[in-house]
Amino acid sequence: MLGKFIAGKFLQYLIVIFLMLTLNFLLPRLMPGNPLVFLAGEDVGFMSSAEKEAILDKYGLNDSIIEQYGAYIKDIFTGDFGYSYQQKRPISELLMERLPWTMLLTGLGLVLSTIIGVMFGAISAWRRGTKTDANLLTVFMFLSAMPSFWVGMILVSIFSAQLGWLPVFGAESAWSNYSGIDRIIDIGKHLILPLATLILISVTSTFMIMRYSMLNVLGEDYIMMAKAKGVKEKVIKYKHAMRNALLPVATVFMLSLGFTLGGATVIETVFAYPGVGRLMFESVLSRDYPLIQATFLIITFSVVIANFLADLIYPLLDPKVGSRNG
Amino acid sequence: MNTVLSVENLSTYFKTDKGIAKAVENVSFSLNKGEMLGLIGESGCGKTTVAQSILRLIEYPGKVVSGRVLLNGRDLIKASDKDLASMRWKEISVIPQSAMNALNPIFTIGDQIMESILIHENVSKREALKRTKTLLELVGIDGERWRSYPHEFSGGMKQRVAIAMALACNPKLVISDESTTGLDVLTQAQVIALIKNLQKKMDLSVILISHDLPMVTAICDKIAIMYAGNIVEWAPTEDILKNARHPYSQALLNASPDLGNPEKEVVSIPGSVPNLVNFPNSCRFHTRCPLAFDKCRQENPEFKEVRNGHYTACFLEGVGNHG
Repeated sequence: MLGKFIAGKFLQYLIVIFLMLTLNFLLPRLMPGNPLVFLAGEDVGFMSSAEKEAILDKYGLNDSIIEQYGAYIKDIFTGDFGYSYQQKRPISELLMERLPWTMLLTGLGLVLSTIIGVMFGAISAWRRGTKTDANLLTVFMFLSAMPSFWVGMILVSIFSAQLGWLPVFGAESAWSNYSGIDRIIDIGKHLILPLATLILISVTSTFMIMRYSMLNVLGEDYIMMAKAKGVKEKVIKYKHAMRNALLPVATVFMLSLGFTLGGATVIETVFAYPGVGRLMFESVLSRDYPLIQATFLIITFSVVIANFLADLIYPLLDPKVGSRNG
Repeated sequence: MNTVLSVENLSTYFKTDKGIAKAVENVSFSLNKGEMLGLIGESGCGKTTVAQSILRLIEYPGKVVSGRVLLNGRDLIKASDKDLASMRWKEISVIPQSAMNALNPIFTIGDQIMESILIHENVSKREALKRTKTLLELVGIDGERWRSYPHEFSGGMKQRVAIAMALACNPKLVISDESTTGLDVLTQAQVIALIKNLQKKMDLSVILISHDLPMVTAICDKIAIMYAGNIVEWAPTEDILKNARHPYSQALLNASPDLGNPEKEVVSIPGSVPNLVNFPNSCRFHTRCPLAFDKCRQENPEFKEVRNGHYTACFLEGVGNHG
């Protein structure tokens, strides 16, 4: 039964991936602008049409759309994402270079902001109507109202420019030959500001969801029953209420997990952090078709995979979901 | 007859934006061992608040402002949190309003019943599980179903689980708070019959909160009628049926159909329940009472014994025959 359920889900997601691949193929071709300008640079105005044709031929852009599509699908499944027009490097190489940094930044950011949001959200709900609750709400609402680039710039100006404690940009010091523990410390120092920015701007949603969800759960009859049964307050909070209240947070976490590989475009740009988000931004600016497709694809794949994971994990968290499907 | 529960002048207020809502005021009644008391009243009249006050489950913005709740001589209102936790379920338990929501959806019903046993009694898990299975059998559920989650049961069965849970630690007093809400009529009858049955078998004292007057008169030894936060009349069932003193009790009886007498005309009570926020000191029923006079609008009548075991709160009492 469970095997059938997983197989069914798998098939569903396969269809989704196929549709996304197609959409991903069509999208850049429907956008305005001509890749020729970026392939040949300013010189394009002086080129003869034969020269232009030669360049388009070289990159397969003169083939029929069907042929281009066929080549695109074939390449995807052989792990060949093509060649970046702009960066003049194989895309798989670019991605492999950027992905670890993005996973470090956004992955850690998601985990930490979820933990912080859950903690304070629960505290806020447990102390509903008190000063603690009001203060926490104010702080988190304030945080969510700040634009990420602005937070990033403020942090840079304080901790890097004024105090000089932390580096301004990059993921690690250029031209340094740190190794071992020194390198880790260097990477950590570079990570602090972008990570802090990411947490500051994203923590509020988890906080609000957790607070609201916990308030709902605390109002449930089964919490009152647990009290009437003489269950200790701590056990009620952590055993009876927490697990129920975490369900919506888990859903949001799973959804966000899919987007982590897409990086945090704005923050990566502000901090010149070499992640996928910035790569995507650059590729869109230069209409670097293969690179756009590849970065979008990474996001698509990871969203689909995260959803698939969520489908597998959710029944373990919520017995209702398991029995409905299996 | 020994008294299990004695509620004396219990008042519970709620703070609202518009003022103090006197949800329960000056409520007094008592309950003997093995007795079944029906607490009757319209929705919002404070029945559940009385139950929650007795169990000390009232939370901000609500507060028990005065009165005593003596359970076997010990005041629950004044008890320390630790004493309270140990008395809950062991001496007093509750079958909640709508069991649909009273069971935690992420734990098996077995876990939830066992939990109450393990908190209060020094027994092994194996022993607790054995007792859980026996309890389930007692309410007519296969003991092996302890592994099931609440959503795997129908509404009626969840209610049975809630009853099993309420009996887990052999309490002396069980409060059934509209436990049949949301069930179909047949299942309601089964659940009520089950409660009555267990009450007799285990010599329990039960407070049955309901708005179903015919059902309560059919199975309860005594009846307390509530209106807008006050108990207006409290007497043995027979007395209520044959000789209700309070105009509200009489109106309520006239408003209920009688299966034995299909010809009976059902008369509704005109008007609606007053807003309890900042309610003036007057008889709370005076706005709808056909017999109200000046005094009713200025003072709240005292709740006093008018005959042996028959209590009511009305100024007409002793003035003349108004029934």
